[in-house]
Amino acid sequence: MKKPLITLLLVCVLVTLLAACSKTKDDADAVFEPALDTETSCNVTVVGSYDNFEALEAEFDRFNEYYPNVRLRYVKLDDYNNTLAAALDGNDKPNVFFSNAGMIGNRKYDAVFAHMEDLSDPALKLNLGCIRPGLVNRDAENRVLMVPVFSRTYGMLINYDLFEKEGFSVPTTREELTAVCAAFKEKGYASPMMGYSKTSSSCLMYTVAYPMFAAALAENPDALAKANALDPAAGEYMRPALETVAQLIGSGCVDLAECDKIEDNYTKVILRFFEGDVPMMICAGDTVSGTKKRESQSEAFSNAPFRYAFAPIPLTAEGGYFIDSPSVEFSVNKDCDNLDMTNEFMRFLISKKELNEMASVKRLVTPTADLSFDTVYAPFGNVPASRTVSPEMIGITDPLTVQIRIAAFKVGKGELTVDQAVGAYGSLE
Amino acid sequence: MKRIWVVIVNVIIMIAMLTFVVLYSDYESGKNSKRQIEHFENTTITMKHVTENYLEGEQRICDVWARYINSEDMTIEEAVSFIRISHVLPNASVHIVYLDTLSGLSTKARQDAPDNFSVSYASMDFLNDVSWIDQIGNSINVTRAYTNPVNGEQSIAFCNSITLHDTATGNPRDAILLRILPIAELEEKWIFPKEEFANAELSMIDADGDYIIKGHSYKNSNLFEFYKSYNAVDTASQELFAEITSSTGSATMKNSRGEECILAFTPIAATEGWTLLSLMPMKDLSVNTENWLLIWFVSVGLLLLFVFDLTVMLYFNKKLQLTAKEAAAANKAKTDFLSTMSHDIRTPMNAIIGLTTITEKNLGDTKAVQENLRKITMASNHLLTLINDILDISKVESGKLNFCPQTFSVVETVENLVNLSQPMIKEKNIEFNFRISRIDVEYIYADQLRLNQIYINILSNAIKYTEPGGSVSVDMREEESQKPGCVRLTFVVSDTGIGMSPEYMATLYQPFSRQTDSRVNSIQGTGLGLAITKQMVDLLGGTIDCQSEQGKGTTFTVTLDLPVADRQRDDMTLEPMDVLVVDDDEILLETAVDTLESLGVQADRAGSGPEALGMIRRRHEAGRDYRIVILDWKMPDVDGVETIRRIRAEADRDVPILLISAYDWSEIEDKAKEAGANGFVSKPLFRSTLYDKINEILGTTASSVEPENDYSDLQGLNVLVAEDNDINWEIISTILDMYGITAERAENGRICVEKMKAAAKDSYDLVFMDIQMPEMNGLDATRTIRALDDPWASSIPIVAMTADAFSENVTECLNAGMNGHIAKPIDVKLVIKEIRRIKEEKK
Repeated sequence: MKKPLITLLLVCVLVTLLAACSKTKDDADAVFEPALDTETSCNVTVVGSYDNFEALEAEFDRFNEYYPNVRLRYVKLDDYNNTLAAALDGNDKPNVFFSNAGMIGNRKYDAVFAHMEDLSDPALKLNLGCIRPGLVNRDAENRVLMVPVFSRTYGMLINYDLFEKEGFSVPTTREELTAVCAAFKEKGYASPMMGYSKTSSSCLMYTVAYPMFAAALAENPDALAKANALDPAAGEYMRPALETVAQLIGSGCVDLAECDKIEDNYTKVILRFFEGDVPMMICAGDTVSGTKKRESQSEAFSNAPFRYAFAPIPLTAEGGYFIDSPSVEFSVNKDCDNLDMTNEFMRFLISKKELNEMASVKRLVTPTADLSFDTVYAPFGNVPASRTVSPEMIGITDPLTVQIRIAAFKVGKGELTVDQAVGAYGSLE
Repeated sequence: MKRIWVVIVNVIIMIAMLTFVVLYSDYESGKNSKRQIEHFENTTITMKHVTENYLEGEQRICDVWARYINSEDMTIEEAVSFIRISHVLPNASVHIVYLDTLSGLSTKARQDAPDNFSVSYASMDFLNDVSWIDQIGNSINVTRAYTNPVNGEQSIAFCNSITLHDTATGNPRDAILLRILPIAELEEKWIFPKEEFANAELSMIDADGDYIIKGHSYKNSNLFEFYKSYNAVDTASQELFAEITSSTGSATMKNSRGEECILAFTPIAATEGWTLLSLMPMKDLSVNTENWLLIWFVSVGLLLLFVFDLTVMLYFNKKLQLTAKEAAAANKAKTDFLSTMSHDIRTPMNAIIGLTTITEKNLGDTKAVQENLRKITMASNHLLTLINDILDISKVESGKLNFCPQTFSVVETVENLVNLSQPMIKEKNIEFNFRISRIDVEYIYADQLRLNQIYINILSNAIKYTEPGGSVSVDMREEESQKPGCVRLTFVVSDTGIGMSPEYMATLYQPFSRQTDSRVNSIQGTGLGLAITKQMVDLLGGTIDCQSEQGKGTTFTVTLDLPVADRQRDDMTLEPMDVLVVDDDEILLETAVDTLESLGVQADRAGSGPEALGMIRRRHEAGRDYRIVILDWKMPDVDGVETIRRIRAEADRDVPILLISAYDWSEIEDKAKEAGANGFVSKPLFRSTLYDKINEILGTTASSVEPENDYSDLQGLNVLVAEDNDINWEIISTILDMYGITAERAENGRICVEKMKAAAKDSYDLVFMDIQMPEMNGLDATRTIRALDDPWASSIPIVAMTADAFSENVTECLNAGMNGHIAKPIDVKLVIKEIRRIKEEKK
């Protein structure tokens, strides 16, 4: 009689302890405990290429709740890529600076890398575990020199109310996409899918083609190597992506004439979407970041608001791809003044709560594992790992992206055929 | 007015006052705020002037350099060299860039390459179009804050267009001279000057709202975007933005923390579309604190006042209600009192009038007349008691009862008490015992009248409510008092009477309270006696306690601390002798033996007549007779008289025998004397009583006993009676005549004085003086007589005989020079006693 009772009690105790431990871990992420003297008075400067960074400035305010005498500021460096190194060596050294995967391997940034602190140092107690593993890049020495604070992806904005109004379901496969575009066309929508198409930069063609190309390369390391080396042989791997672009335009899903009316790849794209008559607006996640602020600036949206979200473009029979790339990354200048407080700020910032908060304000994709907190990006949280591609992790380089961007743009515009584009890989400009 | 209306009116007044205070405070606060904002704006304007002066100063240096370079046809290298020589600020630098390539030289080398002075502005937007750079000396040409491409520092640059000598072509080549100052250095100097605006932060924006220099609290890269992020945007906002960049003024906005801030703005005239901004949280204007303090203070004050008023109002209301209730109760009491009085006065009056009528018709029937007169006397006495009680209770209740202390003998008081109670005791055949426990202090200084009244009230109640055959016992004892100069007299009266119910006990001391009982109803009483007694005991600082059980009896205990009089009897010691005390009452026996031994005699005791007889016989045979035998009259089997008879017959014919009686011995006097008694002594046996009586029996002192029915000593006295009332005169003259005293009348005080003036010496022995008389009252008459020159006349004894019966009246009379006071209706015994007293004093 006694033995089962004791066993039961021990199990209860164990369960309670495990629950407590689990809770403690959550709490550790949720509650920031200052490690330094909260009366410390000093300056911390974050420099970057953004003209403004209110989401980060909001984090400054929250950090000031713990350290009221720390003056934090964000400064945009003009000609960032060229002045950053000088600034890091200058009299007014920044504490934290923007970095990105593109800097890796570029000798131009050697001086910049020389200033970067290893953020994986256990002494810093940064909660890197809160970030999706595919976004954290480690160098050859297994150091983490840059931490993503936002991520970038590609997809389309969906006007749910329009789908509901017309009685259509949001497509989840290529076939459904084709079918719903045809249905919209029948209902009189000139271009069921739209996007920026005037120049190649952030154009809709690239947004459609790049995820498919990256996915294809992810499955074939040899092809990736060739593609990075701009070997024309890698052009063949672009074919499915380019054919899809051509097909979407050719089938009338995308009316380029309508798309060309959109004058820029950011604000105008958003405002056009907010007109309320576009079921699907193809764009990058960076563009989606501008939607929140522009809701009030759009008279049409203010008058007739609707529900919308950003989702992968269903380009395959299984669905769409989630290209999971770091967008903005932070590095710490190990030679700055007030390094302790800088690391304290990073410890504060690199948490699920603060990163999500910042992503929410900026309306960019959070780098944390939890995408559900923002309904706009929630659809990406449902994409399985098999269709999630982290270009930086697999080693996709910038020159490669330039090739697919130009190829897709030209094919979409009809300037090149798919075959021509495939054949021109490595030489497209 | 109903309470609710009072509350409503109060609340309305409070709200009105608070509204006024709030509005006034708000008005004042608004004014103050306006002043503060004006002050803030003015300070911003001052800062603008400082800024303008600074910019102009810096621009002027740039202008001088530009002019010189232009005048000297310098190459870029020469120009840079020249500036290096001229430049003194350590953190400042100068860049000269060709306008066509936007590249050139810096006065300072790159930190990573000490030999590299090259600089490029190709990626900077602000030199793509240089139309904003005016002719030298015309205006301030300053860039926005930008990143110095050489050292990466945020800086501003003062610019001038210059023309250089191009060594490659030999032609002039347009260039821009940039005098660069780090923002960090500028920010250190560029702070708000006023201490009260310590939290204010400055910024400068261009015409588009982009920051040229950005303060810490300013967010975004553009003021207007910053505003939009944290404030509602509408058409008014757009107007505000236009106003900010074109005029001087202020506006409110929320900062990134959601705090209400004041934003002051003023254009910097010397620049192209630049505006100086000052931003500060409204709370730092410290406008409202005092006002809120005032509002809180007034609110709390009003609330307190309201609560206080309400409480006071409720208190007074309650008090008023109570007073109204009391008034109603008093009114009812008055009605009840009058009703009771009417009943209680009419009852004896009915007896008096009725019996008088009957007597008038039966004058021939002597027996009936005597009986009627006896009843009339009883009714009159009751009426008198009632009137006295009413007067007493009214005085007690009005707080006007005064005590007139005087020295008197406790023995006399007790004797008086016993004498007064005797008739009723005899009438009801009640067994009566009065025991004392060694009263050492005989004379005390207190109000004898009131003390008597207390004791008489309690004793008479005990007797009244004890049915025939019952018993009443009195125990008086003297104890040590806690009060200095006092003795504690405890007076315990126990009876076997009807007792009291617990319900009645609760209202025992309330006026007119009488137990509802058929037996009680048959007993005369005013229902005031105990109320008066209780009040008097309280006033004397004593206690009164009552224990009672219905059907079994009642015990009252009165304890008083009374001052000991200065005058006491001299040492009372008898010559050594053997005395025998005989009584069946063990306590009395014990007390008597104890008292006798304190007088210095040897006292033996015997519990019965036969025992005493045996003891006397044995002594006689032994030739050691007792010097005196004191024996009780009432003893079982063989009473005192029979014992005396046997002593005389069988034992000792000569031994003096004193017979003790608790009662008046007049009825047995003859029998006792015949049996051989030598004298009588009343219970209780005081020390002085025994001392006096033993001395009297043994012939050692003269008898002080007053002759009971012998009034011969009064024969021939002549008294002057000042009395305006004919009936009263008739009564007193008749009474006096009955005792052989002649009386002359003076109809008022004046006549009395005249008679005294005219009278020959010793023509009057005494003056009885009424007080309230026409022409001259008794007091004035007394004073006049006392002031007469004739020593006999001025010293003649004057005794007040008045219906003014209160103690203060007595005091008044004595103060006027009178020798005594007799209250009307007159008690004949008291009159005779007073005459004798005066006579004795005269001797």
